[in-house]
This record gives sequence, structure tokens and C-alpha cells, in this order.
Amino acid sequence: MKKLLFIFVILLWGCTKPDIPLPNPPVEKIFSVGESSVTNGQSIHFDLPSAGVYTLTLIDKESGNVVSRERFTGQYGENVKKIYTKSISVKYLYLLLEDVTKKEISKTTIIIN
Amino acid sequence: MKNLLVTLFLLISFLGFGQSVSAPDSKSFTPSTNGQDGSGFSISGFTTTDVLLTSISLINPPTGTTFYLGTTTGLAPASGFTLTGNKTRLVVTGTMANVNTALASLKINTGATIGNIQLSVATTINPTGYYYNGVNGHFYKPVSTGANFANAITTARNSTFKGQKGYLVTITSSDEDLFIYNNVPQSNIWFAADDRTTEGRWVISDGPEIGTLLKTSNGQYAGNVQGVYNNWASGEPNDWGGNEDAAVTKWGGGFYWNDLSTANVNPYVIEYGTWTNPDDQTFTEFYNNSVTHSNGEVLSARFNIDFGGNVDETKFSAKGYTYTNNTWNLVNGTTKQLSGLGKVDLTSGLDTTKITDGYKATIVPGQVEWSLINPYEPARNGHRLQIDERVFYGTGINLNDIKYIKLFDIYEGPITPLDFNGWWKQWLVPNDIGLTNKANASSYQSNIRLQDGWYAFKADYTFSVNQMYKPHGIELSYVNQTDLNTLYSNIVSVSDVYLAFKELSDKGIFGNQSGMGFSKGIQYMNADVDMNGVFDENDTYKLLQHLTGVQPLSQYTALTYLIKLYNKSDYDSITPNNWNTKFNNTRNLIPFTLNGLNNTYNISVSWLGDVNLSHSAQPATNAVASNSIRTMSLTTNSVSNQINAELMSENVGGNLVVTISIDPLQQELVGTQFQLNYDNTALKFGKVEFVTKGNPTNFGTDKGTYVILGSLITDGSTTLDKTTEYKITFSPLMGLSSVLGLTSISATDAVSKNGAQLKVKVN
Repeated sequence: MKKLLFIFVILLWGCTKPDIPLPNPPVEKIFSVGESSVTNGQSIHFDLPSAGVYTLTLIDKESGNVVSRERFTGQYGENVKKIYTKSISVKYLYLLLEDVTKKEISKTTIIIN
Repeated sequence: MKNLLVTLFLLISFLGFGQSVSAPDSKSFTPSTNGQDGSGFSISGFTTTDVLLTSISLINPPTGTTFYLGTTTGLAPASGFTLTGNKTRLVVTGTMANVNTALASLKINTGATIGNIQLSVATTINPTGYYYNGVNGHFYKPVSTGANFANAITTARNSTFKGQKGYLVTITSSDEDLFIYNNVPQSNIWFAADDRTTEGRWVISDGPEIGTLLKTSNGQYAGNVQGVYNNWASGEPNDWGGNEDAAVTKWGGGFYWNDLSTANVNPYVIEYGTWTNPDDQTFTEFYNNSVTHSNGEVLSARFNIDFGGNVDETKFSAKGYTYTNNTWNLVNGTTKQLSGLGKVDLTSGLDTTKITDGYKATIVPGQVEWSLINPYEPARNGHRLQIDERVFYGTGINLNDIKYIKLFDIYEGPITPLDFNGWWKQWLVPNDIGLTNKANASSYQSNIRLQDGWYAFKADYTFSVNQMYKPHGIELSYVNQTDLNTLYSNIVSVSDVYLAFKELSDKGIFGNQSGMGFSKGIQYMNADVDMNGVFDENDTYKLLQHLTGVQPLSQYTALTYLIKLYNKSDYDSITPNNWNTKFNNTRNLIPFTLNGLNNTYNISVSWLGDVNLSHSAQPATNAVASNSIRTMSLTTNSVSNQINAELMSENVGGNLVVTISIDPLQQELVGTQFQLNYDNTALKFGKVEFVTKGNPTNFGTDKGTYVILGSLITDGSTTLDKTTEYKITFSPLMGLSSVLGLTSISATDAVSKNGAQLKVKVN
């Protein structure tokens, strides 16, 4: 009987679903949508065509003036940066990605919540 | 000369001078009475063939108060309205003549409820393709060609109409829903509601109500937020096919909403206007006026407060005070927010108690010319009223006892004793009462004689104890101190300081010539920051200290130490020659006198140190010229009055370094100023480094959440060139893997050698 129980336990253990890690759900790229709402410190995901120096720029949609800009060195493929909003006093902005020659790579609209 | 006249005519035509709505004087209606005369509004300045869109509105009237038009010939009702019947609001189209005829026939019905009756009339040339909603004062433009949901939002936001940015229509009431239903012929119309972020969680996705939660789950009534308008069709929204994330109204031609795929191409409606009260509208070329009558005896005071441009009037509130025993006493704690047009009505903020003060003289038609009144004298800011002293024999009443008069049907109000002039006792009737018009309109022509500009009256007199309301004052307050500090940083900026230096330096070697910087008396008053009646180097020194952050203009930051309030007539009478004889001090409380039940006051606002009047009322004496210049500058600034600045920020060695580089373009640039905001929970201000030529005064002042920085060459002897650069360093209070948005530029100023304010384009 003991042997039977042992075999049964072994069989149950053998049927347990292996602990295979699930892939993370795909993250929406900021420039793949026409518009996004953002909150302070929110991460944004975007792709770069090559490694190098780029800028991310926030432009007031109403005045056309640049409100904030960050120059950074990016990597090929997916990059993650953060947007901070506490210092910004306008609600509707363009987010612009440019390369080192100021050539526009991508552009989208963001709304600060 | 001909060309000049033609140019002037074209300019005036282009700028649209002349069109206006005039309003009648306030009056009291009898409660519970129908058909009382509510006429007196009149529209002018349009051509005879213009078709006008005109809105007539009662703003929050007492229960039972309505109006109707006795004559509606030639008018057509706007959608949702009928011409007949009693109304609280009516929108019509018609020619100016037809509308004026209708307005002249306006009748008021009153109920038993006592209260203010604010009647407002607004008009514009009826725009083709746009629909006006008289309930909220917004315009709507249907776009029948359609777009997917995202493009509909983008197109709406990129459009403007009459100076207002558009947004995808928001539907917040059944009235608004019905308005769209009636005015847009298509079906399945996108409006600003979606659950794109979380399935079933529907929010308003554009416009002034953006982010407002409509409902928390799918289904016609499931999760509908109480008090928020929802109008879903049966079984909707249902996310059919798993991809319906945006809402349409007039679903299938009916009156209800449905959810559809955002990829669908549907017609949509663009809405213009963010206010809820039509009386607060700020559309350009949209003319309105209002009057506050009362139903029954209601004491009221209407204030039209002119802040000029660049100030958000709705951030100010007002309270009423009385002045008794040498003290200002708050009537009650209720504050009233100013409207977007700077209007505010005080009713509960007034004290209805009357006090005894001297005598009232009532002047009625008689046999002998005992009295005369002189034309308006600007130096006195009033009319001299003269009464033969024999009138007073045996009364025991002296010159100083008369505090109030009723002169025929021409004037009733306070007077100020002056002096004796031969047989005449003299008083001053304050302000310009429009004597000629009132005398011509008087019912007692046979008792009035015009002689050399003054009028004589055959009159009799009675004297009675003067019962009057207590002296009152209106006090303004600002929404909060932090916002006020920021506003004031923008009011007194580098262009003000340079203009003051320029004016002073142009006064000749003996300092007694007229400078070239100022053209208006109020500019001298605002530049005389120590308020000692002399504008001199002490003032420019203080202005420079303020700009550079060494010493603020005022020791205190409260509104009362910064703002200047004037009665409009006083403000308009200030000239470059008499300014140092006028009251020049800051105050957020201005006295006023209540005469009768319905009172209107026009107040002009200016600020200590606002030398270029960028945030102040424009004095009326120069109104046409200055308005022309201001309007023209809006169109020409971008071309000729502009400099460029380039902004960059990056992580350098663990610090955040922000660089602002200047390109003066073709300008002779002598001053710059930037407000660089920073997130003080993430950054600590370090320093500003300046790269400048020409030995300017450079300044960089940390204000806790922002830095004010820039340069000024006070004597204009050199200019700032393309090498000008400012480098601002912050140390981090957290990791700096990203810096976007940790700093931002929110305000700029620049000035050229000739004193012109320049626009700064930040690239």
C-alpha cells in the first residue's frame, strides 16, 4: 500500500505543470499611437533606428514653443525614458523625437494628466 | 493724405471697429407683473444686409421671470427655439434693423420672487457652417466628410474659430445632445467619449471636461456615474467584436449613443467655447452687453473691471465692504469670482442699511432761474452746479450741508461742496454725466435754457434729510499667493525695466525734456515705483534691483501691495503732464458710492512697475491708437518683432544642465528674460552661468520652483549677439536616467534698443 501511495505521489508530481516563465505583455510604443495621456514619472517606450545621440522635445501645441528638451544617447531598437510633468504648465503637447541632425524621427501628441 | 485716410479706413474696417451692442440703464421691475418694458438694447455698426445671429438671455433669473418679443418681423429662430412664447433664452437670425425692432419690443414678465434680472444680448454675423447654442454660448461645426476617431480629435484641436481653439464635441447635457441631433443631418456622429484606456471605463476624451468619468462598465445603465449625462442605446455600449472603444451619438439616426471601432470613419462635430455661461464668452467679433435689472427693490452693484490683456480675470474674486467709524468692515464672507470678461455683481455683499448724512436738495421745475450747471471740466473731473444762495434763506442749511441732489430728470446722486462765487453757492457733480444728451432728453425743456455751454434751470427747491447707503468698497483677491508671485514675475519684466531706463535717459542733459519711452501718464505712475511723485534714477535703480532679484519692488507680496485700482474716468484722465498730481498707490480695495438700487462701476487695473502696460488697462484717451497697435503687433510680431532661443537639457556628469542659446535675428537686442520652471522634488538649483558680450547686467534668481534669468543692457549702448548663452545647473535629488520635463520654460520676455517688446520663439 505504501509503495502504491508513493507511486501515486510520484505520478502526481510528474503531472505538475512545469514553471515556464510567461512573456511580458507587449508595451505600447509612445509613437505608435496618435495621442497618449501621461502622468508624472511615466515611462515611455520607443524604438531607435540606430545607436547614437537623439533628442526628445516637448512642444506647446498652442504656441509652438519648445517647453522642454532632453538630449540623450540611445541604443538601437527599444529604448525606455521617463517623462516628468510637475514643472510643465501646459496640457497639450507634441512629443518629438529627432536625431543629432535635427531630422524628425517620430512625433505624437501627449496630454498631461 | 488720401492714401492715409484710405489706409485708416481699411484698418478700421479690418479691425472691425464700430460694431457694438448698447445696453439700457438698470431699473427695477414690479414683481408679479407681465409685459413690463425691457427695451433699450440696440445693435449698431453692421451693414444693412448683414444677417446677424443674436442671442437674448436671462442669466439665472428669479423664478417666474421671463421675456418675450412683441415684434419678430423678419426674424428666424435658431435651431431649438421658437419666436413666440415666454423665454429665458432666445437665439434668432435677422438683419440689424429687424433685430433692433424686436429688441425695442422686448417685454419682461416677473414672478413673485425678488432678485436680480441680468439680461444679456450677444450678436455676430451669422457664420455659415457653424451653429450657435444659446444655452451654453458655444459654436458647433459639423464635419460631414468624417474621420476616424483619433483624426477627428486631432483635426478638432488644430482648428480655431473666432479666436477659440476647437475640440471634439463633448455632450454633457440632454440639451446639448438634442442640439446636435437637430443640427447635424448625418448619423453616427463621433463625440469625445472613449474607453480606450480601460475597457468599459468611459471618460470624456477632449475639451474642457476631458478626463471626466461617464461610466465604469458597459451596458446601457451599468456603472453610469450619477449626475453625469449618459444616453446609451439599449444594450450599448457592448464592445462588439472586442474593438469598440469610442462613442457616437445619433446612432442609426436615433437619439441615443453607441460604441464603435475607433477606426471607423464617421462624421463629427467640432465645438468652440469653454465657458458655461454665454455671458462669459470671449469670441472675437462677437459683441455682447448686459444689464442687471431687478425684480422688486434689490440693491445691486455691477463692476466692469478692465485688466487689459494677459491676465486671467477668473482668478480674481471680489467682496464688499462698508466704511464706518474709520474702518472697513466686511459685509459678509461671500466672495464672487470674476467672469472671463472681468465682470462681477455684488448683491449680498452690500449693506442695505441707510444712514443720515446732511441734506438732499430736490430741484423741480419752477418760475425763476435759480440754478445752473456748467459743462464737464476735466481738471475738476466734474460739473460745477450753482444755486442762488437766496434759495437757502430761512432754511438754516449751509453749503456744506447739501450732500445729494435730484436735478430735474437730469441727475440724481451725490455732490461735493466747493465754494461761494458771488451770489452762487457751488458744488461739484462728479464725473462726466453726458450733460448735453441728458438736457436734450429732459421732459422739462421749457424750464431749461442753454447759454454758452451751460444750462440754466427755472426751478423750485425742497430740502430733506439725506438718507444714503453707507460708503462701500470692493476688495479684490487672487486665487492663491504662489500663482500671484508667478504672475507678478511676468508683469514686471526686462522690457518694463529697459523702457524705464530709456525714458529716463532720453530726458536731456538737464533731465527736463520729454522722454521717448512713455506716451501715457499711467506709465510714469507705474515707473515711479517709490511713489513719491517723481520718476527718477531712484526708481530705475529699484526696478533693476527687482529684476535682478536683489530687492523686490514691494516688501510684501500680497495683492494689495502690487495692484492699482482706479475708477475708469480717473484712470483715463491721467496724462504725462498731470500724473504726479493724481493718486498713485497700490490698493486692492476701491471705494464706491451706492446711488439708487442698481449701480454700475467701471474699474481700470494697473500694477506697480508695469511700465509697458502689458498687464494693465489701456487708457481710453489712446484707446483707438493703442488697440490698433496691439492688434497689428499680434500679426506682425512673428515676423519682425521676434528673436529665437534654443533650449537643450542633458545629464552632464550626474547634474542636469539646461542651456538656453539666443539668436537675436535682425533685432538690436538689449534685454532677455526667461522663467525656467523646475521640479523641486527632483532637483536642487545650483547656478546660472552667463556667456554674454557688451557688459550687460545678468541676473539669475531662484524662486523655489522656478528660476528667473536673463540680461539687460540698461543704456542700450551695446547689444546682445548670437553668442549669448545661459547655462543653468541643477543637482539631482534622485536618479537622473531621464530629464525630460524636469525643467521647462513657461514665460519669456525680450526688448529691443528702441524699447519695443519682442516675442521669443523657443526652438
